[in-house]
Amino acid sequence: MKKLFLAMTASVIALSAQAEPVKLTIWGLDGDNGLIPTMAKEFDDANEDIVVEFRAVAFDDLVNETLKAVATGNPPDMISLDNPDFAMFSSRGAMLDITERVAASTVIKADSYYPGPWNSVMWDGKVYGVPKATNTIALFYNKDLFAKAGIANPPQTWDELLEDARKLNDPANKVYGLTWSARANEEGTFQFLPWIQMSGGGYQAVNGPGAVKALDLWKTLVTEKLGSQDVLSQGQWDSTGTFNAGNAAMAISGPWELGRMSTDAKFDWGVTLLPTETAGGARSSAMGDFNWGIFAATEHPDESFRMLEYFVSQADRLFPEFSNIPARSDIALPSTGDARKDAALAVFQEQLKYAQPRGPHPEWAKISKAIYDAMQQALTGQATSQEALDQAQATIDGILKG
Amino acid sequence: MRILRSLTDGIGFDLILIGAAMAFLMAMAGLPLVYNVLMSFQEVDMFSLGSLIRPWAGFDNYRSVVAQPEFWLVMKNTALFVVGSIAGQFTLGFALALFFHQNFPGSATIRGLFLVSWVMPGLVVGAIWSFILAGDYGVLNALLQGVGLISEPVFWKSDPNLSLYAVIIANIWLGLAFNMLLLSVGLAAIPRDIYEAAELDGATAWQRFRTITLPMMRSTIGAVLSLGLIGTLQQFDLFPAITEGGPANTSNVSQYWAWQMSFKLYDFARGATISVMMLVLVLFAAVIYVRSTRGEVRG
Amino acid sequence: MNMVKRPWVWFGFAVFFAAIYLFPLYWMYVTAVKTQSEIFVSPPTFWPNDPDFGVYSYVWTDRNMAPYLWNSVVIASGVTALTVFFGTGCAYVLARYRNAWVDVGLFTILMLQVLPASVMVTPLFVAFNQLGLLNWPRSAVILGAAAKAMPFFVVLTRAAFMSVPRELEEAALVDGNSRLGAFTSIVLPLVRNGVLVCAILTFMSAFGEFIYSKSIIQDPGLQPASVGLQGFLGPNSKDWNAIMAYSAIYVTPILAIFVLLQRRIVSGLTSGALK
Repeated sequence: MKKLFLAMTASVIALSAQAEPVKLTIWGLDGDNGLIPTMAKEFDDANEDIVVEFRAVAFDDLVNETLKAVATGNPPDMISLDNPDFAMFSSRGAMLDITERVAASTVIKADSYYPGPWNSVMWDGKVYGVPKATNTIALFYNKDLFAKAGIANPPQTWDELLEDARKLNDPANKVYGLTWSARANEEGTFQFLPWIQMSGGGYQAVNGPGAVKALDLWKTLVTEKLGSQDVLSQGQWDSTGTFNAGNAAMAISGPWELGRMSTDAKFDWGVTLLPTETAGGARSSAMGDFNWGIFAATEHPDESFRMLEYFVSQADRLFPEFSNIPARSDIALPSTGDARKDAALAVFQEQLKYAQPRGPHPEWAKISKAIYDAMQQALTGQATSQEALDQAQATIDGILKG
Repeated sequence: MRILRSLTDGIGFDLILIGAAMAFLMAMAGLPLVYNVLMSFQEVDMFSLGSLIRPWAGFDNYRSVVAQPEFWLVMKNTALFVVGSIAGQFTLGFALALFFHQNFPGSATIRGLFLVSWVMPGLVVGAIWSFILAGDYGVLNALLQGVGLISEPVFWKSDPNLSLYAVIIANIWLGLAFNMLLLSVGLAAIPRDIYEAAELDGATAWQRFRTITLPMMRSTIGAVLSLGLIGTLQQFDLFPAITEGGPANTSNVSQYWAWQMSFKLYDFARGATISVMMLVLVLFAAVIYVRSTRGEVRG
Repeated sequence: MNMVKRPWVWFGFAVFFAAIYLFPLYWMYVTAVKTQSEIFVSPPTFWPNDPDFGVYSYVWTDRNMAPYLWNSVVIASGVTALTVFFGTGCAYVLARYRNAWVDVGLFTILMLQVLPASVMVTPLFVAFNQLGLLNWPRSAVILGAAAKAMPFFVVLTRAAFMSVPRELEEAALVDGNSRLGAFTSIVLPLVRNGVLVCAILTFMSAFGEFIYSKSIIQDPGLQPASVGLQGFLGPNSKDWNAIMAYSAIYVTPILAIFVLLQRRIVSGLTSGALK
């Protein structure tokens, strides 16, 4: 009798619990009609028992807002974080370990993801998140200027890149051979690290002979004025703006440029893989974009994971609706109706196979600073490439040991 | 009863007025100051931001900040930035204030236009100056080349010898409104008859400026310089927009460095330490101001 | 009022100086209507080849600027009210005496300005969180930002109080007024202009309050325009036209008010009522 009563009470509680919907909060930087608010609303509408609240946080504030929320004990249930920032939270137990949930999931398949993005959600052999989307960088080139300079094919090696930049450089018409970003922030590292990786190094080993050669090449580009000296202060978006304006013959940047370039550039352009150190040499590229993660402090891990599964299940909409490239090799991108864009996307998808994450390391920001500081010191002539990279290596060794 | 009376009618009245303001300031600005000073002596973990009790670190943070390879460069830049910005803002602001003090048609309206920098959002000011100062597409180079002052583009933002000055130029623009406004006010407060008397005595314009204007504006100048110094030491919107402190820290100053430490590298203890070190500079500003009020004449 | 000789020469110079100084403002308006690539063309174009004025209506309607601007007004009004409330009395007392305590008071007020807002916001956030004030985020921002605005207000208002002859207040006291009575009926009316002007200046700088708002106000419906502006900055892209158009919409009205009021601003600060 007593047992029955208890069981009844329990079911009443369960019923009333069901009547009160679970509230999930999610943070990210997508604007009003962006991916997160759109999909979060769909998930909210499709589930009677769940209400989702979204907060947009600007890119520059995302990590700091999250740190503050974690420190004061009220983080959201879920978040999308830039991939190099992810390890800072996963390594410290702030993110929910979803290894087993993913293994049991019929929606999330680890092996369908590119290795780079998947690597960035891992820490210490466990899964803490799922890549939201991905991007990378490659070489844009102005086909009209190439034809004018009598160059048939875009450069494939570092030497060819330098040689072509010299041929294309045309100060009288205010055209630089190449533009890129060597800015004193994460963007600078994002652009330079792939060169270190192509030469066999990585963020743990930045002062190998290949890395020195790469930095010397960058230095040559700046001192011979084959690229604007302002690469030291301009970001990728502004740098590629000068390419679109016809003031640079080649530009290193990513697929986020395609929309603006298609409407603004008044010339024929194409994209090719980043040139390698030697012909047929190792390829690499940077890996950008965000990861989904659930906070360990969430009171609703099951519902949060359901929401994550819903987002993942919608991956084929990422590109057509939100111009994001899925981090998975099993999703074909539909045609955009613009042949040039489609060709470019095919190159970026090829490049993605070689994209490597920054880190993952909890102190990525400091490692990154060591790299861009060295790069800037060499480019401004305050140190030789070797000296600057040796100093960066010493700093990085200290961080890796600590 | 006597206490009550003193509240409306004696020293107690003054104490209430100043006490309320001070209590409010202590809570909203004093506590954050204490928090940061405390943090500079502690080992701070990024997940312990919410608590006050953290492992004691003594002067370790201070030692490690001073040991950073960029420390002396940043200190030198900070000094240059402060001196350059204030000298520029103050002299141009004073010159403009004197200029507009002459009553000519339209002077009031045109002076009003100079106050634009007061209301511009920092992000936008930074972005606009970043465009203007760009080496290739920047309009400053185009103008200078147009009038023949330079033949090659100057890379204001990216030349290690110029990058700090690029930010100083933008900061002078930003602070000019404040300086000109306050100095205009000070000028307007000087009775005209003093000048007229001096003119009758045959004093030259320079003599009048030196013997009347400057002494009469002592307290205004003190206020402008000290508030300007504080404002300059807090200015950092321009740095991320124009140079990011680069190239190679040649335009990095302590307030931006502190911000980078805390909010880019998530090293909150060292960020707080650098901020606390700047306290010394503001101390200097506060002393200038307090001293300048000494010679004030009331009414 | 002595008029200068050859006023039109002075006027010409004034226009010339203003043109130089306002160039960045012009560049904001022009950049807004350029295409994304024309912004980066070398050499730069002084007038856009194909101006697109649609950007203004785009940021106004698509970005729903009106509520953001309203929030800016609410925050700036609150900051101004609080600053005037606490700051006026404080400035009056600091102008009334001339002793070591006044030195200490002025010194403390300036020292409390030592930290940039960016490092003050974390402890304030923690404290507001403990007090439950984060549920009223705009009020929380007003509290914090008023403390930031106060030193400036006190220093300026104190100068206005300095210009009130002490004898006036003493005469009122002899006539049987209480201190409170003398303050409200004699001193305050005399500095009314000065206080009003300092309040306007406080309002204008609080209108752009950014650092506290972006951290403390999480609900976009309550955020001010300065925070709304951030929506155009992506991880890889920066919508410069929209940023410039947005800030043009945000700056122009307030600049117009400034120009109209500025004659009063300068005379008000010197307490024109007396002279």
